[in-house]
Amino acid sequence: MTSGSKTSFARRCRGLWLALAFCCAAPAWAFDLPELMGLLSRQKSGEARFTEQRFVHGLEGPLDARGTLSFEAPDKLVRRTLSPRVETMAVDGNTLTLSRGGRSRVLTLDSMPELLGLVEAMRGTLNGDGATLQRYFRSTVGGSAASWTLDLAPIDSRLAAQMRSIRISGRASEVLGLEMEFVGGDRSVMSISPERAGAAPAGRSTP
Amino acid sequence: MIARGSAEGPPGRQRRTLVLLAWLLIVLAGALQIARTQFSADLSAFLPKSPDARQQVLIEQLQSGVASRTLMLGIEGGASAEQRAAVSRAVARAMRESRLFDLVQNGDTGDWSEAGTWVFEHRYQLSPGMRPAHFSVEGLRDAIYETLSMLGTPAGNAIKPLLDRDPTGETQRIAVDLVPASAPRSENGVWASRSAPRALLIATTHAAGSDLDAQAVAIARVQAAFDAATRDIAEARPKLLLSGPPVFSVLSRDKIKTEATHLAIVGGIVMGVLLLLAFASPRALVIAFLPVATGVVVGTAAVSLVFGSVHGMTLGFGSTLIGETVDYAIYFLIQARGAAVAGTGWARWREVHWPTVRLGLLTSVCGFAALVFSGFPGLAQLGVFSIAGLVAAALATRYVLPMLAPDGASGMGMRKYMARAAGMLVRGLPRLRWALAALGVAALAMVVWQGGHLWRADLGAMSPVPKSAQQLDEMLRADIGTGDGGTLVVVYGADEETALRNTEAATARLEALVDKGELGGYEAVTRVLPSVATQQARLASIPDASTLRTRLAEATAGSPLPAARLGPFLADVEAARQRAPVRRADLEGSPLGAVVNTLMYQRPGGEWATLVVLHPGPGFDAARLEAALAGAPEVQVVDVGRELAGLYQRYLHEAFVQVLLGALAVVVLLGAYLRSGARLFAVCQPLVFAVVLTLGGMAVLQVPLGILHLVGLLLIVAVGSNYALFFDQLRVAGRADEDTLASLMLANLTTVVSFGLIAISDIPALSSIGRVVAPGALLALLLSAAFARRLPAATARG
Repeated sequence: MTSGSKTSFARRCRGLWLALAFCCAAPAWAFDLPELMGLLSRQKSGEARFTEQRFVHGLEGPLDARGTLSFEAPDKLVRRTLSPRVETMAVDGNTLTLSRGGRSRVLTLDSMPELLGLVEAMRGTLNGDGATLQRYFRSTVGGSAASWTLDLAPIDSRLAAQMRSIRISGRASEVLGLEMEFVGGDRSVMSISPERAGAAPAGRSTP
Repeated sequence: MIARGSAEGPPGRQRRTLVLLAWLLIVLAGALQIARTQFSADLSAFLPKSPDARQQVLIEQLQSGVASRTLMLGIEGGASAEQRAAVSRAVARAMRESRLFDLVQNGDTGDWSEAGTWVFEHRYQLSPGMRPAHFSVEGLRDAIYETLSMLGTPAGNAIKPLLDRDPTGETQRIAVDLVPASAPRSENGVWASRSAPRALLIATTHAAGSDLDAQAVAIARVQAAFDAATRDIAEARPKLLLSGPPVFSVLSRDKIKTEATHLAIVGGIVMGVLLLLAFASPRALVIAFLPVATGVVVGTAAVSLVFGSVHGMTLGFGSTLIGETVDYAIYFLIQARGAAVAGTGWARWREVHWPTVRLGLLTSVCGFAALVFSGFPGLAQLGVFSIAGLVAAALATRYVLPMLAPDGASGMGMRKYMARAAGMLVRGLPRLRWALAALGVAALAMVVWQGGHLWRADLGAMSPVPKSAQQLDEMLRADIGTGDGGTLVVVYGADEETALRNTEAATARLEALVDKGELGGYEAVTRVLPSVATQQARLASIPDASTLRTRLAEATAGSPLPAARLGPFLADVEAARQRAPVRRADLEGSPLGAVVNTLMYQRPGGEWATLVVLHPGPGFDAARLEAALAGAPEVQVVDVGRELAGLYQRYLHEAFVQVLLGALAVVVLLGAYLRSGARLFAVCQPLVFAVVLTLGGMAVLQVPLGILHLVGLLLIVAVGSNYALFFDQLRVAGRADEDTLASLMLANLTTVVSFGLIAISDIPALSSIGRVVAPGALLALLLSAAFARRLPAATARG
C-alpha cells in the first residue's frame, strides 16, 4: 500500500519531473538569437561589478582587475577599473573617452575597427540588438533562457586578426560573464555580478 | 602743344606718321609688358593689404597655409566597400609616388611602419610622460601596470612584442596622442564616410597654395591616378569627388579665364553689330575699336607695372571698360561730321566737344581713383586698370582718330531711326519729370527704410566658387573631420627652437582643456618634434644605469613581468641617453617630415610659425579656449568666421568712404568746370535720381548688396555724368541736332549692353557690378533727358 502509494507518488513525481523537463526543454530547444535578444532588450540600463582575469603568455601568473560596469540604452557603456589602477573607458555613441592618471583622451570609436567590434559585442548584447551583432560577428546561441551562452566570431578582418572569439553568458536578461580569446592564445575571463537593486525595477519582473 | 584753330585743314602727312608711330609704339610696349605678366586668380587679392595681426594670420593661411594646400578626395559608389578601399589604396600609392604631395592619408596605416620605427627609436625624447618622477620606483610601477593593463585586449597584440624594450609604454603614449580626436571611420582598412558609401583621402600638396600652375598639375595627377585605378572596372565604376582650396583656386582661375574671354568675344560682337548698324561702315567699326584696344592694353600693362601681376578679375573688367571707352570713339565719329571744309571736322570737334569728353573722362577718373586708395589690392587694381585704360582711350580718341578719320564716319546706317527715337525721347521724357521724381522719392524712402539691411552680402558672395562645389567641400570636410577650420591657433617664434618652445607652452594649456573635456583634442608639431630643451629635459630625467636597475627591481617585485626579462629596456634607455636631440632637418623626407611641414612654416620675415589644429569636441567653447591661451607667448587665436566677417565689414566701410570721396570729387570737378550752382544742380540731379532708383530697385528685388554693388553705384555717377554733361552742353551751345543725340544714345546703348553682359556673368563679383551699372547707366541717360530743361527749340527739329 504504502509502497504502492509511494511508487505511484514517485511515478507521479517522475511524470511531473518529465513534464517539467519537457516544458523547460521545449523552449531550450527553440532558444535562439531573436529570443535571447528579446530577453536582453527589456533591460534599459544597469550597473554591475566585474572581476577579470587575463591569461597572457609570457607573463608569470594572470593579470587581475576589478571594477564596475554600467550601461544605458541605447549606446552608453562605461567600464571603470578600480584595481589595480583607476582608469575609465567610456563609450557614448561613437565617442570613446579614455581617462587614466588625470589625463583623458577622446577618440572616435569607428576609426578603430578592433575596438569598435569589441564594444559593439558588448553593447549589442546588452541592448538586445541582434542586427548590430550580426553585422560584426557570426553568432551562436546555446543553453536556455535560464542559462544561455552567446558565442561570437568576428567577421571584420582587422578584428579577426586580433581576436578569435567572444563568449558572453548570462541568465534571462542578465549578462553574467564575458570571455575573450585572442589570436596567439591569450585569454580574458570576466565575471559580472549585476547590482540587483538597480537592475530589477518594480513591476518589471512579473507580467 | 598741337596746332589748333578751325581754319586748319586735314592733318599733315608728317604729323600723321608721327602720331600713329607714337601710338603704335605705346601699344607695342604695352603688349610686351603684358606678355611678361603673371596672371593670378586667387581670392586673397580681395583681402586688405595692411591687416591687423589676426587678419595677417588668416591671410597667410589663406595664401600659403596648410589649408590652402589641402585636397580632399571622396571615392563614391562603385560595387562594394572592398572595391572602394582598393581604389583608395591605389590612388594613395600613386599620389605618394608622384612626390607632388607632402602628406597623403587614407587611413591605411601600412605605410606608417617607417615612421613607427622612428618614433619607437626616439621614444624617450618624444614621450610626454618623461618626467623625473617617471623613472622613480613608484613611477615605474605605475607605468608598467598601465602597459600590462593593455595586454589581454585587442591592443595587446601590438604591445606585446615591445614589452621587453618598452615596458613603461612610451610608444603607446606617443601613439595615443597622435590619433586625432575626430578621425574618420575606418572600413576595410581605409577611411570611409559615416553617412554614405564613400572612401576618403586627404592630401597636402607640396607646392604653395598660391602656385596655381603647380596646384593644377597636382589635381591632374590625382585625376590620372584615379583613372588608372579604375580603368579595369567595367561596370559600377566608383566616382571621384575632389575638393579643397586648390581645387577652388584652379576652378576659379579657369572660370575667370573663360568668362573674360567669353565676355570679350560676345561684347565685341554685340558692340560690332551695334556700331555697324549705326555707321554702316566696317572702317568706322575698326576705328571705333582702336581706343578700346588701346585702353585695354595700356590698362593691363599699367596694372602689371604697378602691382607686378594682374588679377583675372581685373581683366574681366576689361569688358566694362569697352562700354565706356567705345563711347569716346562714337562721340568723335559722329560729332566730327558735317565740317564746312573737308578734313577740318576733327578740329571743330576738338574745340566744341572735346572739353565735355575730357570732363567726362576726369569725372570717371575721380570715380576710379577712389578705388586705387582703398587699401585692397584687388580694388586698387581695378582702379589703376580703369584710370589708365580710360585716359589711354581718351587720348587715342583725341590724337589718333583725327589722323585716321578727320571728318568722323561718313555712313548714316540706321542712325536715322536712332536719331528719330532720340528726338522723341528728348521731347517726351520731360513730361514724365514729376512722375520720375515721385518714383525717385519713393525709392529713396524705400532705401532709407531698409537702411543697413540692404548691405547684407558677405565675402562669400564674391567667391566665384559655385554653391554645389561649396556643398561638396562641406560634405567631405564633415566626413573626414579635418580638425575645425573655425578656429586657428598659430604660434610664432623668432627661430625654430623658440617657435617650438612657445608651441609647447601653448599646448600645455590646451592639454588642461583636453583633460577637462572642454577640447576634444589637438594636433601640434611638437608631438613629433619637441623643442631641443624639452628633449634634453626628457633625457635628463633618466637615472644612470645602476640606479635604474635597482629601482626597476623594486618596482617589478611581485609583478607578473619580472625585471629579469627587462634587460633590453635597460639597454635601450642607456642608449637613449647618448642620443642627440632631433631637429627639423633630421626629419626631412620622412613621413614625419611631411607632418612637420604641414604644421610648421617659415613666415615671410624669416620668423617661424607653427599651426595647432583643433578638434573641438562637444564641450568646446571658443571663449574658454581664448581665455586659456591668453598670455601664452606669441600665440594668435583666430576665429576664422568672425575675422572674415570683420574683414568684410572693414572692407565695406572703407569702400563706403572711398566711394563717397570719389563722388565728392566728381561733384567738385563738375562744379569747377560749370562754375554755376544751377548748372551743377541740373547735372547732379539726374545722377542722384539714377543712383537712388537703382538702389530702390535692388531693395524691391531683395538683392543683398555688397562692396561691388557700391563700386557699381560710383560707376553710375562716373559714367552717367557724361550724359548729364552732354545735356548741359546741348542746352548751353544750342547745337542739339538729332545726330548728336543719336551719338549719345548709341554710346549709352553700348555701355548698357557691356555692363548688361557682365550682369549675366557667372562670376558674382562681376555680375554684381553689372547688375547695378547697366540699369543705372540707362536711367542716368533717361533722367538726364527728363530733367533737362529749356532745351533750345532747334532740338525739336524733325
